[in-house]
Amino acid sequence: MSSSSAATLADGEREPDLVGGPPTTAGIIAMGNLDARIEGLTSQARRGRLTADGWGELVELTVLRGHVLGRIDETERAASLAEMFVDQAPRDPRSLVAHARLAGLFHQFAAALNDLDAAAALGLDRRSVDEERAAVCQAVGQYEDALALHRQGLSRGQDFRTLGAMARCQAESGEVDEAESWFLAARRAYRGVSPFPLAILEFQCGQMWLAQGGLASARVWLESATRRLPSYVPAHGHLAEADAAEGRVAVAIERLRRLALASDDPDYATRLARLLGKCEASTEARFWRAHAAARYEELMVRHPEAYADHAAEFWLTIGDDPQRALRLARLNLALRATPRAHALVNRAMCRVGQRRQ
Amino acid sequence: MSDHLSGTRALADPAIDLTDLYAFSSPSQAGRLVLVMNVFPNARPGALFSDAASYRFRVRPVSVPMADSGSLFDVGADEFALTCTFSIPVGAEDNGELTQRGTCVLPNGESVSLLVNDERGGEGHGVHCYAGLRLDPFFMDVAKEVETRVRRRLAFVPNGTNSLEGTDVLTVVAELDVARVFGAASGSVFAVAAETVTVGPYPVRLERLGRPEVKNILLSDNGVDAANKVVDLRDLYNEEDPFRLGPSYVDAYRSRLNANLVFFDGLDSKADWTTQPDGTHPLTELLLADFLVVDVAKPYAEDSYFEIERALLEGREHATCGGRSLNDDVIDTLYTLIVNAGHGPRVSDGVDGTVPASREFPYLAPPNPDPPEPVSVPTAAAS
Repeated sequence: MSSSSAATLADGEREPDLVGGPPTTAGIIAMGNLDARIEGLTSQARRGRLTADGWGELVELTVLRGHVLGRIDETERAASLAEMFVDQAPRDPRSLVAHARLAGLFHQFAAALNDLDAAAALGLDRRSVDEERAAVCQAVGQYEDALALHRQGLSRGQDFRTLGAMARCQAESGEVDEAESWFLAARRAYRGVSPFPLAILEFQCGQMWLAQGGLASARVWLESATRRLPSYVPAHGHLAEADAAEGRVAVAIERLRRLALASDDPDYATRLARLLGKCEASTEARFWRAHAAARYEELMVRHPEAYADHAAEFWLTIGDDPQRALRLARLNLALRATPRAHALVNRAMCRVGQRRQ
Repeated sequence: MSDHLSGTRALADPAIDLTDLYAFSSPSQAGRLVLVMNVFPNARPGALFSDAASYRFRVRPVSVPMADSGSLFDVGADEFALTCTFSIPVGAEDNGELTQRGTCVLPNGESVSLLVNDERGGEGHGVHCYAGLRLDPFFMDVAKEVETRVRRRLAFVPNGTNSLEGTDVLTVVAELDVARVFGAASGSVFAVAAETVTVGPYPVRLERLGRPEVKNILLSDNGVDAANKVVDLRDLYNEEDPFRLGPSYVDAYRSRLNANLVFFDGLDSKADWTTQPDGTHPLTELLLADFLVVDVAKPYAEDSYFEIERALLEGREHATCGGRSLNDDVIDTLYTLIVNAGHGPRVSDGVDGTVPASREFPYLAPPNPDPPEPVSVPTAAAS
């Protein structure tokens, strides 16, 4: 893939040209309609009239709302719905796929693969099995396996879905230039007006650039995502990171305050407390630190696999318990040997004196 | 379900998911055509149209061939389009609810404005338009229809369950004076299709719709199409021009229809249709010309769906306005056609509409005022 839609900045960083992208439904309409859709499906479920397709859609939409709004409780609700779907239709491979996706979201990768095996045995088509397996391989850092599966998918057809999957895999394996080309190709291939798929794609590319320190590129992608979905919490969270990295600390703090209040993900409270601490706003920093600590304690009881890395980051920094951070970082590394997981363990080891900086 | 949730793209954005298309002569005024396009299955109060899509009725004059000619409808190249677009909503001053405005552009470029959910609609230039939330007029026993295809036998029961009972949709209604809007020379018989396309200078088709259940039943994968067992044809079909199928996938649609029509014909354990030696079913080409055919010179009827097509097949002159009315029992009509060709008793899913549509503008019943409460689902945390 070659990137043709990027301009080179003075400092060498290339800024993507996202002007004139596909028009999508205004975020206020899309979010209202998402709520309405979930309510409608939920009422059908209540009346016992939900088909298997409807169950699958209800799970998927609930996960989507949880992601966009940064609500862990919504993702937990989706997990409960997936359990109910399996109870309702244990021999339907779609229920197992839904269950596998939720297991993957909570980093229960072995369970996810078991579900996918069972779904395949029940007749799930090869293409769907491959797509789901690729997502799990990618999550655990098996990028070569994931790439092979994505290439197979692309050989069957290049569309928004297959191009986007390849982009995400390249991004996570650190091939950023290659990844951005795939992201741009996926964006061009989008055929629809729902803002969700496109905003999520743009968020993922922005996230990739932010991790690489490409602040200008990250901002272009993340701002495009928030223009489509003004209530997109994780995108605003990353924009706050970019703000802080660019020295606009007050802007970052204001943004993070809104997110920490709206979201039940302690990541925002953690970042807010760190920034406030640097600004010597110690009383408010202590409040958000305590808030995040309590929330991580809860989450580590319920979903230790899913929150081990973020909790480790918390205890390694403002949580100030590096030994605990190291235990959690090792737990995370055992689950998924990604570059980020290795780096987290190394940082924790340095902090406790087991390794030099 | 009719055209509800007809493909992965529709699932991603229900505001562009066409669920049903209706076209019928006005029950009360001669020479007026009523067009209805529904989107957003299971819509709830507060549901709104996309501001990034155009909702378009496409109408073309049609010639009905002479009896016994064996020809299909001759669709003219002239086209009349009514295109509705909607604004980004704004907060109302009195109650804080969002209000959305719509504009319907007529074939001559004139336009009619309306306020979404305002029952009075907008009126002008020979057209009366409404857009907003209404009760879904479609009715069928979805579970039994699915069971029929899965078990390969008619599973309907005398007192079926309407799976859409009490659900709402977003509707666009356009009632028009045919002579004024289309011109006196346009005739009285029209092919009607609906589509949602992206706004902007290069519109991309998102969904298209002609007859009910073409995508969800007739093109469904029932394991009998030897040519294609993998690809979901619905999104490909949605991208097609309603009046001209492209060459790329037409053989895939044809293969699926031929296989499925033989499958449906066998559900009563006897063959009522005779296929050609190459496997072509007599209904395939007629169904691939996927639009409603309506004759505004004929009076309104509530059971006129596919009557003009049946007249064509039977070599007689049609007697009704054809098209499709809001109270038409299209599932019974369709299943009777494809299972016994009308040679046996009417095949029924045992469901009738419990809240009939009105004979007055905007025709569809008001939305369900008392939607069921959402279910309380325990979270993993609580369990």
